[in-house]
Amino acid sequence: MCALAIGAVPVAAQETEPSFLARAIESASLFEQPAPDPYANARSCAGCPPRSVGRAFLQTTVVNVFYGLANLVRGQVTARVTPKTWWANMENGWVWDLDDFVVNQIGHPYQGSNYYNAGRANGLSFYESAAMAAFGSATWEFYGETNKASLNDFINTTLGGIAIGEVLHRVSWLMRDPTKSGSGRLWREIGATVLDPVTGYNTFRRGDASRISEKPAEMIPSALGGFASAGVLWRGTEHEAFEGAGQSFAEVDLLYGDVLQGRSRTPYDAFAMTLRFGGGAPVSEARLIGRLLGEPLGKAGKFQLSVAQAYDFQTNDAYSFGAQSFDLGVSFTQPLSSRIGLTLSGSGGLTVLGAIDSLPLGVEEVPVEEGEPTGGQGVSEGPRFYDYGPGSKFTLRALLLHDRVPFAVAFYEGRQLYSLDGLRANHFLQHARLDLRVPIYKPIGFGVAAEYFSRHTYYQDEARTEKLFRYPQFRTYLTWDIS
Amino acid sequence: MTRWSLAGVWCALIVLAPAVCAAQADESRLWIVAGGASATVRGDCQTCEEDFPYRHGPGILANAGYRVNPRMDIGAEIFWVPLETASGTLNTTHLDAVAQFRPWRTQGFFFKAGAGMAFIRNWVDALGPGSINSKALSVVVGTGWVFRAEKRVGFELFASQHAGALGDLQTSGGDVPDVLGNYWSIGAALVFR
Repeated sequence: MCALAIGAVPVAAQETEPSFLARAIESASLFEQPAPDPYANARSCAGCPPRSVGRAFLQTTVVNVFYGLANLVRGQVTARVTPKTWWANMENGWVWDLDDFVVNQIGHPYQGSNYYNAGRANGLSFYESAAMAAFGSATWEFYGETNKASLNDFINTTLGGIAIGEVLHRVSWLMRDPTKSGSGRLWREIGATVLDPVTGYNTFRRGDASRISEKPAEMIPSALGGFASAGVLWRGTEHEAFEGAGQSFAEVDLLYGDVLQGRSRTPYDAFAMTLRFGGGAPVSEARLIGRLLGEPLGKAGKFQLSVAQAYDFQTNDAYSFGAQSFDLGVSFTQPLSSRIGLTLSGSGGLTVLGAIDSLPLGVEEVPVEEGEPTGGQGVSEGPRFYDYGPGSKFTLRALLLHDRVPFAVAFYEGRQLYSLDGLRANHFLQHARLDLRVPIYKPIGFGVAAEYFSRHTYYQDEARTEKLFRYPQFRTYLTWDIS
Repeated sequence: MTRWSLAGVWCALIVLAPAVCAAQADESRLWIVAGGASATVRGDCQTCEEDFPYRHGPGILANAGYRVNPRMDIGAEIFWVPLETASGTLNTTHLDAVAQFRPWRTQGFFFKAGAGMAFIRNWVDALGPGSINSKALSVVVGTGWVFRAEKRVGFELFASQHAGALGDLQTSGGDVPDVLGNYWSIGAALVFR
């Protein structure tokens, strides 16, 4: 009877109802499925960080506490904050500070990048994270130190933090590959965490560092190119083309996205970065320029209008300079053959705040500091040998490209800085550069560059004194195409 | 500026509000703020020995800009502070590019930051008489709460701090280095979207 009964079950029913064994295997396989994602509802895409504004604020504050504790451990008297110092700072308002040039022009922007990425790591947009950088910077200035709140720090931390933060965030996402697993994935995540610690911390905390997903589309550039190069540079003087031995340097040039084409409303979907180590200073040049808006103009989009944000740091024999600025630029692209192209671009912009080294008239060298500062460690008492102020800039650039890779670059930049704090002076800086790169074998190439630096300082003294300093620089280097 | 003229500006804003709103399209991205404030001002010279006083006066604030998304507005801000001093009226006009962020869409809390220029006339009489005009780098940070944030017409209470960095100030008594003015303000404003 049973056999008859079983045999009487329709064929269709037999196909749709899995056997006990099949069900057991299926339920066992459930244990091998990845754990459900507790943040799934808060993500705008499978690989995106979950959005949490509260956590972004909290982590921005934690970053401040971390820096404050680090300063306290280092014995800095300025880290001994109390509600009384908070009130005193609020009552006093903004001042200009007397900190070292590198601290103000690199240290503070990097700190700002941590605030910014507390926003990005928690799913906030570019502009929302920019607000987070401003929040972190303002709260640090008023409540993080006993020093009076510094206006220059607030600007450098906020604007520099946005530029460095977004670039580090995107470069760290270039390293990540969430579609992979295993030790290769782990090392990529660790590398990305070194570049962008706040996003890295959140990625590990949430378990995203091992979760398989697609990379967020926003973090995939439309194009990627660049060079790593190493070589030697020789600096001249006003009277001689070369002086002394050469100085070694290493440089990274990165082109992320297509700066020259396309309509864009996504900030930093295209940016250019130059980072030079050595050449007379641990970091002798750092330039970031990120597109905020892009709009093609003219027939076939040969012209491109763009609005960009820039962060600059340069130190050389003519000047040490750092700035936060915004540019409006127009570029023109013309194919010369099937593989050769020409691009011309020009831009002008406003420097919100720039810093440039300066010496008072009659002083030829920065005096060596003697003894410990009386205010204790961490208190900068001055005098400060650089000026702060707003200004303007203009840039011209011509590129010859072979298969979209530049092999000849001509560049000119002029900058004017009006000193608001420091010496009564106007500064005019010029930098011209010609680069030629020749491929040797596969990604390896050889390059030569000639540069010219000039600095003109117009003192606002009674005699209207002017000082001019200029020198040439030559570089030879090997390049590695990292496109 | 007298209290009567401030009151007049307020009345005009209230009368004009419906007209401004009617002129807006349904999906308007316009962001307009107009209101008044009570301000405290202190001009300070970092390298001077003088004790610079805090002064109090009215202020008028206006924003006009663009709503990037429901949480973010960017635009321009004008903040005008007239102060009566012993040597005449000290006028300051801050003209800044600002970004305002409202972190939680359902809550009215916001903060803003910006930078631009300040135009200052007849500064720090404590340093000597003489009417001096000067331009300055301006920076602003602020916070507040906006009521009816998603509606066409809202209302906000705000607190902000403006800074005007003049650099070296020329006075009839000589040049004064590193002059920086701080402007603290609390106020209220109408918000049109």
